[in-house]
Amino acid sequence: MFQKFKLFLSSTRFKTTIWYSTLFLVLELLLGIFIYLYLYDNLMDNLDIALKTQAKGILRLVMEKHMDIDNFVPDSIYTDPADLVWDVIYNEVASNLRNNYIQINFKNKIVYKSANLNEDTLSFKDKKEPMNLFYFTDTTLSQKPIRCVQLAGNNYKIFVAFPIQHVTQTLNSLAHIFILLAPIFFIISILGGALISAKSLSRIDAIIKKTEEITALNLDEKIIGEKYSDEYGRLVKKMNEMISRIKTSIDYMNQFSISAAHELKTPLTILRGETEIALKSPKLPEEYIEVLKSNYEETLRLTKIIDNLFFISKIDHSLIDIKKEKINLDEYLQNTVNNLKIIGVEKNISLVADSRTNSNVEIDKELMTQALSNLIDNAIKYGEENNVVTLKGDIFDYNRIKISVLNKGEGIPQESVSKIFDRFYRVESSRNRKTGGVGLGLSVVKAIVTWHNAEIYAKSIPNGITEFYILLPKAA
Amino acid sequence: MRILIIEDEKKVASFIKKGLEEEYFVADIAGDGKEGLKLSTSEEYDVIIMDIMLPYMDGITLIKEIRKREIVTPVLMLTVNDSIKDKVEGLDAGADDYLTKPFAFEELIARLRALLRRNENSKTSKLTVGDLVLDLQSHRVFRNNQEIILTPKEYSILEYLMRNSKKVISRTKLIEHVYDYHFDTETNIIDVYINKVRSKINTNFEKPLIHTIRGIGYVLKDDD
Repeated sequence: MFQKFKLFLSSTRFKTTIWYSTLFLVLELLLGIFIYLYLYDNLMDNLDIALKTQAKGILRLVMEKHMDIDNFVPDSIYTDPADLVWDVIYNEVASNLRNNYIQINFKNKIVYKSANLNEDTLSFKDKKEPMNLFYFTDTTLSQKPIRCVQLAGNNYKIFVAFPIQHVTQTLNSLAHIFILLAPIFFIISILGGALISAKSLSRIDAIIKKTEEITALNLDEKIIGEKYSDEYGRLVKKMNEMISRIKTSIDYMNQFSISAAHELKTPLTILRGETEIALKSPKLPEEYIEVLKSNYEETLRLTKIIDNLFFISKIDHSLIDIKKEKINLDEYLQNTVNNLKIIGVEKNISLVADSRTNSNVEIDKELMTQALSNLIDNAIKYGEENNVVTLKGDIFDYNRIKISVLNKGEGIPQESVSKIFDRFYRVESSRNRKTGGVGLGLSVVKAIVTWHNAEIYAKSIPNGITEFYILLPKAA
Repeated sequence: MRILIIEDEKKVASFIKKGLEEEYFVADIAGDGKEGLKLSTSEEYDVIIMDIMLPYMDGITLIKEIRKREIVTPVLMLTVNDSIKDKVEGLDAGADDYLTKPFAFEELIARLRALLRRNENSKTSKLTVGDLVLDLQSHRVFRNNQEIILTPKEYSILEYLMRNSKKVISRTKLIEHVYDYHFDTETNIIDVYINKVRSKINTNFEKPLIHTIRGIGYVLKDDD
């Protein structure tokens, strides 16, 4: 349980969700702070403008009336400058929709005070600027913070103020909303994050699940999702490519070991069977000698098979040092024939070279000689006695040379011709037994030929000519 | 008991034949599928041992062909492939048993004995008729708990007669099952052997078990 929980905590899904949600929360808070500050600033600016406008308006009115409050002379209408001021600003006050606090002092005497000030008075704050803008808490105003504009002339001071309580209240409730919303946002973002990461990670889960299922036994199965061109798609594609590379190697190894086992089983059957029979009951010395001779032959056969297996495996994995050299084909074939002539003596088969190509080929002499000697060996084994085996060189086309080994004999059954180069394939014929052939000879030839970027084919006419030919690139 | 070995690897065929002969069997060898078909249809065998990979006609085709001709001789397949698919294919084609190379010769013999037992009621390695007991494993024969010493050929004749007790066996049939096909059926050596067996089994005992049916053949039976 705990392990599972620990696993969950370390999962990308959990981490992504947490990152996601935290980011979301921080963003929400930043946004809240930003909105708060922006609104505060904006509201204050607007308020300031309104206050300023009103203050200026009052001043203008005062100026327009050419009221010389400084040198006020009482007349029939106004006996007191306050009356004049009151009258003058009436209009302005009438349009005081926002219910601002307005106060006008004249010669340090309050000449006008809007009704909403009640008993409170606004007091002058000494500032150098002609129009002073303050934000202050006036204790006299019941501790309420106000925003105040004071416009001061020589003798008069105009105050226009507004309680910012409303503004701050609005802003505070906005802040509250943001703070209250934060956990909700957080929960929603966790859910959303979990959902999104689950969705995006579900493909990873599918990949993990499939990868877990794949073993050496079902390597032909693929991870689904290659069709997407996103990172997952590319990952899946690369993984599938890797799987198929592994499959190729494993297939090769399996095929190799199956074939090797197959090839080794016949001599082992003989060794085991003959020995078992020999030990079963007492025998004559001649019989023991016969069994030992036969067993010796079989051990030689096993050695040959193993050598060939190693050779094929090595050449398949490019573990053999190959030294290609440019040589004259005609001379090379002639030399090969001279060296191998002896093989035909027993069956009175003459080995002849027939090559007048005047061409060069680039080959590893040692390996190619081995391939050719395997072919010639077969040609002699399966060839008719007192006949000829020919090693022929021809120009096949403008860039290829054809080297062929021809014999006359029983031939290869038609159905086997195409399979004859398959690794470990053996034409299952009793004549093979007579000659004790090891099925790997042609596989060795094929491996060598393939290494030379050449091709090999066989053609056979029953009881006629059998031809093995190699098409080799011509050297300049 | 006469066995046909169809195997293209000469050495394998020959050691099997040799081993079988030591076990008092007689065996013929066919080197390829076609020869195997010819021998299995023209001669009479008690068991056929057959390799699957054969020249000219593979083992599976060969079994099917043999079965098509209503030859019910038990077939034991030998092969290097031990994949289930191959075993199933062989058994489905009509083979009775399967052995993978390389094999223990003892196992081959045990399996052959099991195949030979199939048509009998006895499920042991002993054949019994009355007070006559033949031990297939040790190749020893007892009558009334008294051992009777037989030569391999005599043993083969007795074994065949015991396996087919109460049935009248013709001289030709007996020859077919105790000699390989190189044997010249015209010789009367078989009569010599049968007489020897009969005298060893019958004389000195109360009841004769081997009877001659004049003009037809022989029968081994306990009259009670």
